[in-house]
Amino acid sequence: MKLEKYLEILPKSLWVTTCNSGSCNGCDIEIVATISPRYDIERFGMKLVGTPRHADVLVVTGPVTTYMKDRLLRIYHQIPDPKVVVVVGNCGASGDVFYRSYSLEGPVDRIIPVDVYVHGCPPRPEAIIEGVAKAVLKLEGKRKELICAAQGETE
Amino acid sequence: MFTTVFSGFGFWNVSAWLAFFCIASFYALWIRSKGRKDYKKGTEQDEIFWSGNPVPEDGEEITVPASAAYWGYKKAFAPFYKALVAFHSGVTTDYAGWFIVVSAVICALAVII
Repeated sequence: MKLEKYLEILPKSLWVTTCNSGSCNGCDIEIVATISPRYDIERFGMKLVGTPRHADVLVVTGPVTTYMKDRLLRIYHQIPDPKVVVVVGNCGASGDVFYRSYSLEGPVDRIIPVDVYVHGCPPRPEAIIEGVAKAVLKLEGKRKELICAAQGETE
Repeated sequence: MFTTVFSGFGFWNVSAWLAFFCIASFYALWIRSKGRKDYKKGTEQDEIFWSGNPVPEDGEEITVPASAAYWGYKKAFAPFYKALVAFHSGVTTDYAGWFIVVSAVICALAVII
């Protein structure tokens, strides 16, 4: 199904949790701008939640420092399946100016599987909204796979 | 025993309360049944979220308890509190002595005033 069709009626409101894995906070400020009245991502039913246990989407900012590696992994594993990971910002996508720094374990895709990359330093809220919207397709694909797998087990 | 109580603003009786309880329970259980069941039990998905940190066995050093709101109050009264604690030696004769001394002081004050 096309993205536009999915966004007409979302099968589920996306609940998003964030993890700052060593970001300068620039991307996090843009994420806050995304949920503020000007961009208002909650009109799509998407909202930030305070715990990964309620979330469908993990938004990761920052290039993953050594200290944050275990924490990022733990947060990722605490999200129920199906889940998607959206990396916001150049640091998380490639390490950017911190690439191959002594204190980095990242970028993010070295630690956890990433579904959507949103580039920018920091990316604009429109780009973050587009990234999360693309995550809808991935999430629904994974949900169907899980349902099919569960049906296969019962047969 | 099961009569209706009229308060002037409404009424209360056992059957109405039970009916309300049943209806409220039905909706509470219905909402609960809509919750997520797809998490994996016995894994990290089943653990407490502690900002990504491992859940500490003793979280006293890294948490701020509600009692911390009274920190200033307790600090200001600490000298008086310490003195009171010092009085509580746990020896019965001490308590009897305090009782006699305080009774004598009160009697003396009553006579003087």
